[in-house]
Amino acid sequence: MSNFKIDIREKENINVIDLKGYLDAHTAPELEKIFQNLIEVQKFNIVVNCEELNYISSAGLGVFMAYIEDVRKHNGDIKLSNMSAKVYNVFDLLGFPLLYDIAKDEAEAIKKFISVKK
Amino acid sequence: MVKKETLNSDKLIVTSIGNKFSKALLMAVAGGLLFVVFITDVIRRSVDLDIGWILLLRDIVILIAFLIFYVLVESIWKREQAPAKKLGFALVLTLVIGITSVLLFFISPSGFEIKNLNLIPLGFDSIVWSNVYGIVLSITMLIVLLVLRDIIFSKRRRGTKRNFIILLILIIASSLLTLIYRPMESGSEMTVLFIVTVIAMLMNSFRVSWIVYLSKREKILNIIFGFLLFCIFIGFDIITAKEGTIVGSSILFYSAPLHSFVLNVSLFATIYFGMTFISTLFHLPTAEAFDRKLSEVSSLHNLSRLVTQVFDFNELVDSVTTMTLEVCEAKSAWLEIVQEQKTGNIPKRGTFILDENSVVMTVALKNISLEEVQTVASSGGKIIRKQILDGRKPIVIDSIKEDKRTQHLVGMDNKISSLAIVPLLSHENVIGILYATKDVEFGFDKDDVDVISAFADHAAIAIENSRLIEKSIERERLMREMMLAQEMQKKLLPQQVPQFPQLEIEALSTPAFEVGGDYYDFVLLNDNQLGVLVGDVSGKGVSAAFYMAEMKGIFQSLSKIYREPKDLLIQAQRTLIGTIDRKSFISVIYAIIDLETGEMKVARAGHCPMLFASNHHASYVQPTGLGLGMGSCEIFEKTITQENVRMAKGDIAVFYTDGVTEARPEDGSEFGYDKLKDVVKFCAGKSATEIRDSIIMAVDNHMNHASPEDDLTIVVLKWNK
Repeated sequence: MSNFKIDIREKENINVIDLKGYLDAHTAPELEKIFQNLIEVQKFNIVVNCEELNYISSAGLGVFMAYIEDVRKHNGDIKLSNMSAKVYNVFDLLGFPLLYDIAKDEAEAIKKFISVKK
Repeated sequence: MVKKETLNSDKLIVTSIGNKFSKALLMAVAGGLLFVVFITDVIRRSVDLDIGWILLLRDIVILIAFLIFYVLVESIWKREQAPAKKLGFALVLTLVIGITSVLLFFISPSGFEIKNLNLIPLGFDSIVWSNVYGIVLSITMLIVLLVLRDIIFSKRRRGTKRNFIILLILIIASSLLTLIYRPMESGSEMTVLFIVTVIAMLMNSFRVSWIVYLSKREKILNIIFGFLLFCIFIGFDIITAKEGTIVGSSILFYSAPLHSFVLNVSLFATIYFGMTFISTLFHLPTAEAFDRKLSEVSSLHNLSRLVTQVFDFNELVDSVTTMTLEVCEAKSAWLEIVQEQKTGNIPKRGTFILDENSVVMTVALKNISLEEVQTVASSGGKIIRKQILDGRKPIVIDSIKEDKRTQHLVGMDNKISSLAIVPLLSHENVIGILYATKDVEFGFDKDDVDVISAFADHAAIAIENSRLIEKSIERERLMREMMLAQEMQKKLLPQQVPQFPQLEIEALSTPAFEVGGDYYDFVLLNDNQLGVLVGDVSGKGVSAAFYMAEMKGIFQSLSKIYREPKDLLIQAQRTLIGTIDRKSFISVIYAIIDLETGEMKVARAGHCPMLFASNHHASYVQPTGLGLGMGSCEIFEKTITQENVRMAKGDIAVFYTDGVTEARPEDGSEFGYDKLKDVVKFCAGKSATEIRDSIIMAVDNHMNHASPEDDLTIVVLKWNK
């Protein structure tokens, strides 16, 4: 199950996570670790770019749920962006748009963070 | 002289006279014969009987008597004794000779005069003593010869028996030759025969390889015995010589052939024991090394026993430490095993935590207490352990005083002076550490360490095997548990699907693993209201199964109270939110159908939408709603909605889990919502069962018959009114 890849970069003091491939029960721990590390170093403004995410299972969705509270407690947020229609549908079924900020693209997500700060 | 030839024809004759009666009879006959000889000697003194044939007859009678004695001795002879013990026995025999000789000197009989190369007794006492002494000594020497035979035969090689028989024949020939001559006479044939006999004795005396196999202690004893016997027989050679003392004369007067026999055997004994003494002396420096090699061989042989002990771990590790003591003569030994740390386990005594995943545990110890082992492992001992674990090479501490790592062991009650620490390796991993101590400095040489290492390798294999067996037993047990859980979970699902004339229902649920997180249920709320619920717990396997069971409890209890699907889901969320893990959630779809009107109320909590098909047209019914356990109750209540659908004749409603829509062959696309819709769309006119099977077949085709990765549930309703 190596068809999953995570890249992390920083843009305007916001951490952007790029997800590629299939996020399921096998690969979810990788993403979990990334979130853990970010929270450990007090980085709470996170954008998850889902442009190349092909599939997300319930275990993958669980990762976001596990950390959103911690992040929000510290006045941060996990924002999702660039979702394909298929992936959006999965998030949508569970009602993620009701709980999470899902932006059309990365720039929009970052802009939201900056405007909140101001 | 037939007597010595029988010696080689083994015990045939001997066994034939096994019973006590015949033995006593033979004894009496021999005694009688010797008595006749004695009477003859007495008569000879006063009457001149020195006629040739009478003397020859007298000699033959004596030899016959001794042949009988030989047969008797052989019949009670024990062959199986170890050579070293025989040596001790020979020493006892020489005492008999010694005492008799000393006695003879003290009594000092009148002796013999030599006349015309014949011996003439000077007094009656000389006759008596030569008879007594002749008999006692000859029998003793006979036994000495048997002892020598057994010693030589204890390590037989090609030629061993042949050489000994040659020597015997020469000894017998020498004896017979004396019959031709007068007692004090000697001829050149005698000299030649004597030289040949001595050569044969020398050849037989090189048969001393049995010495090599003696332990060091036995070798020391052997040197003492060998030396004593050598000295005693030299002395005996001298006193029994022809021109020697009264001892020699006495035997010679009694019987010249016997005298020759006694002298030859004594000479052979002298040479052989001399050789034994020298050989043992030369073997002594290597005795210790040989001892150790022997014990190494036997210990390594014991290793094969370890293989059979893999079923009992405690017995196995106990053997490992015991054998370690044996192989290197260590004072104490103990074994530590690296184990996985099971979370929540309270560390046992003698456990040392390595890191968060593994611990080192003392599993067996010999001649040392657990407290002392812990002392060794403390302070500098931790460094040693780390070096072993990282370096995977044996560590030898020749002197604890000299080594920084072992300063804390100076002055310990259980004295340790040197230490050998060897890793137990399995697939390049250290699975254990074997410790051996000695109370002398520089106690472990290279050989010791090599042997312990070789030993540790075998022990590692045995321990690893033992663990594998344990693991497979454990796996078997878990598998049985899982089968049981599967049975239990099956019982949580409806055993029978309710059926009504107006409503056909069909359901199916298959977990991807033994147990799963899918759930469906039906509840008859009253005479004309049926509740249908399909749920899916996030994740798979055991954790999902637990939440699934919890969901059933919640549904069964709440469904009787709340008559609106939305209300039930709100209550379910309230109940679950406290108990469910942050990462987990349950998606549920709940519909209540009016059995009179076909009116259906549907609420959804994050679950796949209901597929509704009517008149070759299919669509998804997707009221909003968060998955159970996802957000706060407040948001949940605020956002959840409910939709109404009215079923007409032939209409189909399909509830399912994402195992259907997300079914995906490896490196392929998902089954998807559109395909599902297409399948159901063309199912008008089919029964509920047929519809269900169509969906399953379509999914199975899509999967290329590969086994599904997710739990899969389908519930099909068909309105027939």
